[in-house]
Amino acid sequence: MAERTDQPGFRRQYDAQLHLLDRQILDRDGLPVAKVDDIELVVRADGRLAVAALLCGPGALGPRTGGRLGRWTKAIWRRLRPDEDPQPGRIDAALVTGTDSAVHVSASAAELRLDGLERWVRRYVVDRIPGADHAD
Amino acid sequence: MKKLFAVALGILTAIGGFVDIGDLVTNALVGSRFGLSLAWVVAVGVIGIIVFAEMSGRVAAVSGRATFDLVRERLGPRIGLANLLASMGVTFLTFIAEIGGVALAIEIATSVDEVLWVPVVAAALWIVLWRVRFAVLENAFGLVGLALVVFAVALWKLDPDWMDLWAQVTSPRPGANETWTSYSYYAVALFGAAMTPYEVFFFSSGGVEEHWSEKDVGTMRLNVFLGFPLGGLLSLSIAAVTAVVFLPAGVQVESLSQVPLPVAIALGKIGLAIALLGFFAATFGAACETGLSVGYSMAQFYGWSWGKFVAPRQAARFHAVVLLATVVAVAVLLTTVDPVAVTEYSVVFSALALPLTYLPILVIANDPDYMGERVNGWFANALGSVYFVVIVVVSVAAIPLMVLTRGGQ
Repeated sequence: MAERTDQPGFRRQYDAQLHLLDRQILDRDGLPVAKVDDIELVVRADGRLAVAALLCGPGALGPRTGGRLGRWTKAIWRRLRPDEDPQPGRIDAALVTGTDSAVHVSASAAELRLDGLERWVRRYVVDRIPGADHAD
Repeated sequence: MKKLFAVALGILTAIGGFVDIGDLVTNALVGSRFGLSLAWVVAVGVIGIIVFAEMSGRVAAVSGRATFDLVRERLGPRIGLANLLASMGVTFLTFIAEIGGVALAIEIATSVDEVLWVPVVAAALWIVLWRVRFAVLENAFGLVGLALVVFAVALWKLDPDWMDLWAQVTSPRPGANETWTSYSYYAVALFGAAMTPYEVFFFSSGGVEEHWSEKDVGTMRLNVFLGFPLGGLLSLSIAAVTAVVFLPAGVQVESLSQVPLPVAIALGKIGLAIALLGFFAATFGAACETGLSVGYSMAQFYGWSWGKFVAPRQAARFHAVVLLATVVAVAVLLTTVDPVAVTEYSVVFSALALPLTYLPILVIANDPDYMGERVNGWFANALGSVYFVVIVVVSVAAIPLMVLTRGGQ
């Protein structure tokens, strides 16, 4: 159980496993950002747990997948990152504006910059094909 | 008037879009070997897909979440991933079968070998998935797929002994030359052909893309409740004509080119041309649906942006997966593997994989957190639970029957 009463998005006590983990995160325009691959918890002054941030990407999902596959997921992700000690994508709990069947955040997907693979595929694959910016 | 037109269009495309390569091949094969003694399985399968599609359509409309969002939310990353790989694998196998089916349909019309058509078909398919609007894609192939009504017309024109056909329907057992194991194996195959999982992935993802809300549930139900049973009748009419023409002659359907022969006998060249047009539309439409479903499944599982309503560059990973799937499917078909054999395996593996996605949907359809007032009523739950048992039994029986009958020999 985790509780966060001082944030607009987390008004009630809830079961993080059932209501938060693996949910879709949508940005302020309703576009998909990522999944809640893991969460960062803090212990509050009164000893109860609160959600500090949503963690996204293979760096967060790998350890939760567990086993050899989980380790490999994380190891490959580390190799592909330029930084010395890469950290999983992080969305501060303060940005969460509400939860229903998805988790809504107040930033836009572009601002959050959690979609490294998306940008890579866009730049090197999809944008090179004619008609890539043609919507329905 | 406009609303009425939209509803009618939805029902018509549901009918025309119901039949795919799995239904074509399996119904024709079963008709030629078992007559209509397995017709009850088609009925059971059609009711099953209605139950499954109605639930997932309602979940999509009320919660805005498509199938693989829910699979991951309910099963977690580890079991969810195993589920994703299995379900996506079956959908991909079906995708290969559909592309092969389109190529075979063109081979029948042109006498140019299907392997040569595969790259052409795949290129056309990919351009459609990349560029053509979702509504066009859904409506065009669904409506042209209605050409398969020619099988029902052919049945009427063949003027069979209706009492004899009815006697086959009411005696659900294998004929003199067939065993109970092969009868059961083809029951599983027919069930898998009617209840192919990708139909539900596509249906619920389409609903999310079109922003269905609670007020669209009524229209969605009309499409499902009217369109699917009528589509099932098309499947049955294919089994019926092969039962009339091939069963007495002791000829077993082994290739797609045999399937339209009864139509040619009954209605001549024009009938044959219409049947081939129907084959083309049904398989091409289903190839679009399965190709997109491979992308939908993965994108929904990992939380990527997906779909046909945004420009490809806004859903880059999704389109990369669809493109990769198309390329690999071509590579598989260029090994000259027989698309009909791929189809036979794909329907059995569909039956095997069904519980994986059915259970999470059944659970969520009962969760007031997602569904509010629109949770399953007692009737939907009774049917949903009965079908869960049926689906699990069929799934467990699939592989042993495949081994015992050596794939239906």
